[in-house]
Amino acid sequence: MSKRKRADPKLSGRDPNEAHEKKLLDMIRSKQGAGATMYELKGDKTIPPTMFTRLVQSLKKKGLIKEIPTMNNKGHKHFLAMEFEPDKELTGGEWYIDGTLDVSKIEDLKAKCVMILERHRHRVVTLDVMCGYFVKEEKLSVDQTKEILKNLVLDNQIMEVKSNGLNEFASTRIGEVCYKLTGKKSGNGEARGGAFASIPCGACPHIGLCTPDGVISPTTCVYFQKWLEF
Amino acid sequence: MTSNLRVRTTVEYIIYKLKSLNFTIKPASGHLSPAKANYKTTKSVLMDNTEYGIVYAVHIITVQFGSVVSKVCECLLRRGPLSSRDISRLAESEISHNQVKDILYLLIQHNCVQAFSIEPPDGSESKAVVQYLVLFNNILHRVRYNKFSRVVNEELGRECGIVLDGLLSNGRLTLGQLIERDRDSEKIGEIVIRGSLQKLVAAHFVERIPSPEPVLGNKEQEPAKKKGSKAAKILKEPETLEERVLEAAIPVEAIRFPHVFVQDSNSSIADNDSNADNDSNADNDSNITEGKRKERDVDLSDPSNEVIWRPNFEEFIRRLRHKACVEIVKERRDEGCAIVLRAMLEVGRSQEKKVKTDKSVPMSVGSIYEEVITTIPGRTMLQERVEACLDQLSATSSYLPAFVIEVDGSYIVDFKAIISIAQKDEIEAVVMRRYGKEAFRMFRYLTMEGRFVETDRIADAALTEKKDTPQILLKMWQDGYLHMQKFAVTGGTGYTPPFLLWKVNKLIVTRQMLDEMYHASLNLSLRLTHELESEKELLLLSNKKDVVLEGAYEERLIKIKAKRLLLSSTRFRLDDALMLFANF
Ligand code: SF4
Repeated sequence: MSKRKRADPKLSGRDPNEAHEKKLLDMIRSKQGAGATMYELKGDKTIPPTMFTRLVQSLKKKGLIKEIPTMNNKGHKHFLAMEFEPDKELTGGEWYIDGTLDVSKIEDLKAKCVMILERHRHRVVTLDVMCGYFVKEEKLSVDQTKEILKNLVLDNQIMEVKSNGLNEFASTRIGEVCYKLTGKKSGNGEARGGAFASIPCGACPHIGLCTPDGVISPTTCVYFQKWLEF
Repeated sequence: MTSNLRVRTTVEYIIYKLKSLNFTIKPASGHLSPAKANYKTTKSVLMDNTEYGIVYAVHIITVQFGSVVSKVCECLLRRGPLSSRDISRLAESEISHNQVKDILYLLIQHNCVQAFSIEPPDGSESKAVVQYLVLFNNILHRVRYNKFSRVVNEELGRECGIVLDGLLSNGRLTLGQLIERDRDSEKIGEIVIRGSLQKLVAAHFVERIPSPEPVLGNKEQEPAKKKGSKAAKILKEPETLEERVLEAAIPVEAIRFPHVFVQDSNSSIADNDSNADNDSNADNDSNITEGKRKERDVDLSDPSNEVIWRPNFEEFIRRLRHKACVEIVKERRDEGCAIVLRAMLEVGRSQEKKVKTDKSVPMSVGSIYEEVITTIPGRTMLQERVEACLDQLSATSSYLPAFVIEVDGSYIVDFKAIISIAQKDEIEAVVMRRYGKEAFRMFRYLTMEGRFVETDRIADAALTEKKDTPQILLKMWQDGYLHMQKFAVTGGTGYTPPFLLWKVNKLIVTRQMLDEMYHASLNLSLRLTHELESEKELLLLSNKKDVVLEGAYEERLIKIKAKRLLLSSTRFRLDDALMLFANF
C-alpha cells in the first residue's frame, strides 16, 4: 500500500553517531507506512536512551525521515522514512486533510447528491448513474461515492432500494441498487417524530440523576420551567 | 447465535493480526454498560416492569387510592407474590393483617391483584397458602381508561360507553349493580344497560371475572411422563408465574364471553366455572387442579350469585395495537396502504390468540378486498388498487421492512415489523436529540450491522471525525444505549491502547427506553401536581359560579390551564409511545 518515492539516499560524513543513526533509520524504514513512535524506538536497548532525541533530530535535518501526527492521538508523533506515505490508520483516510475530517467537502457532496435525487423525485436513480456523475464531475472514486450515499442513508435522508423491474423501477435491471429520497415531499413516508424525544425528559442529559425528591427533580427542573413558559 | 459468530469473526481477525505482531490479547473487564452491568439474558429482562416502572405504578396507586394501599402494592411489586400475612410483615409501614386483607380486597375489586394458591406436594400435610399476585400492567392501564372509553364510544356508541365507564371506575360490577348505579346518575334505563352490556360482552370488551383463587399444580411434581408426549409438544408450557396464574384463572371462551346471560340466574357460577375448567382440562391437559377451590382470605363471590363483569383489558390493548399499526403504516407508507391494513386487521382479528401476536393468519386478496369496500374510506377502491397497496406493503428497502408477507398468493400482516419500526423511530429520535446527528448515524449504522464493530470502522462508516468518535460512543454507552467489549493488548514493543468494540443490543436499548419513558411519565405527573398545587386557590376560586377573574388573576388562570393541558396531553401521547415498548 505504501509507495516508495525515491531510492535510498546514502548516508555520508564521518558522524560519530553514524552507526546508531543507521540503525534507527533501518528500524523506522522497516515500519514502512505505519511509522514508529518514540516509545517504540526506545525499545532498542543497544542505543543509549539519552541519544534518541538527538539522533531523530539529525535524521530529520538530513531529510531522511519525517514526523507525522496521528489523527487519533495528536500528541503521539510517528516517524516515517521519507520514501513512505503514511498509512490510512495514521492520516484517517481520503476524507482527512492534515489529520482533520473534511466535513465541509462531505456536506457539500451530500447536498449535491440530494439535489440530483430531488430532480428525479418521481423515479429512482441507480447507483451506476450516481457513480457516473461523481466520478466525472467531482473526481471521486466509486468507493467514495458509495460512502457518501451510505452516509445519507444513515442520515435517513435517502433510501437504498433494490429494483424489482416494476413501476418506478421500469428502466432499471432487476436487483440493481437504486436510491430515492425519504420524506413526505417525495411521497415516501416519514420517520415518526418521537413522542419521548419531543419532551424535556427525552432530551435531558440528567435523567439518570433526576429523582422525585432529589436535588434534580421534576418540581425544580429548569428544563420544565422553560418548556412551560407561556 | 449468528451475531455471536460474527463477533467472533471480527475479534478473531483482529486477534490474529495482533498475534502475528507478537501481541497478547485478553478481554478486559467492564465491558458491559455501567447502567446495565447486571444485565442478564433471562426472562426478567423481558418483563415489563423496570425500576421506574415500579415507581410509576406505585405513584398511580398513591394518587388514586392513597399511600397505605400503595405500600401494599409496592411490597408485592418488589417482592413478587406473597400471602396476606407476609405482606403485613414485610410492607414498610405498620399495617395490620386485617387492613392488608381489606386493601387486597380493594385491589382485587379493581383488577390490580389476583389471588392464587399452589397445591402442596403429594402427601404433604400442609395447607395451600393463598398468595397474591400484583398485575403490573393493569395498574398502568388505570391511566388509559380514557383511551379504552374512546374505543367503545367510537365502535359501539355512547350508551355502551356509559356502561363501560361504570365498570372502569368500579372495577367489577353485576348487571344489577350497573342498573342500580344508573338510577343515581345517567338514567339510560335497565333495558338499554342490559343491551349495552350484551354488546360489550359480544365484542369482548367486557368479560366475566376470572376465577377468584385458582389452584396451580405443584411444578416440581409435574408428571415427568408428560415429557416428550404429544400434548406437551403441541401446547407450549406457560413460562412466567403470572402467565400460569392468569391462564388458570381465566375461564374458557364460552363462559368468559357468554352469548346468553340472565340476571339473577340460579345456576351457580362456581358450578359453571368448575365444569368449564374441567372441560378445558380434558382438552388441553393444563396444570389447573380442579375441585380444590380453597377457602379464601377474601370472599369475592356475590351473594346473589349474579355474574360479575369487568372490563377486558386484553381486548382494549389489542384494539389500540391495531390502531397504532394503522397509524404507523399511514405515516410510513400512505393513506391507501393504511386502509388496506385496517381491513386486514379486521379480517384476522377474531383469530388472534394473544395480544402480542407476531404475525396474523394468511388472508386472500378477495377477503381483504371484501372488507376494504365495507369501510367508508375504502368504498371506492378498486381491487387493482388494493393489490397495488399490498405490493407496496410487501416491499422492502434500507428504509422500511416489509409490513405484509406474501405466501402463495395469501397475505400475512407482520405485526412485529410494524411495531419494531415505530420503536426504532422512537429510539433514534432520542439518540438524535440527546447526542446529535453524528451519534445518530453511528447508532443507525450499528443497528443495521447488528454485531460488534470496532471504533475506527464506525467512524469510517458514519464519516465522523475519528478522534471524536470514542467520546460520542462512550456517552451513549454510559447511558445504556450501547453495548461495549473492551480488548486489552499487551506485549509487543510498545504500549497499545485497548481496542473497543460496540454494538446496539436491542433488548438492552428497549428496556432502557422503557425505563426512561416510565420515568418521564412519572415526572410529567409530578410536575402537573406541583403546578396545580401552586395555583390551588386560584383554581378553587375560578370554579365558584359568582366569581369572575380579571386582570392579572385572569392571566394566571389562562397560564395554569395551558400548563395543565400541555402536561396532560403530553403524558397521554407519551403513554401511546410507552405501549409500543411495553404492551404491543
Ligand atoms: S424532570 Fe427535568 S431534570 Fe428530570 S429528567 Fe425531566 S427534564 Fe431532566
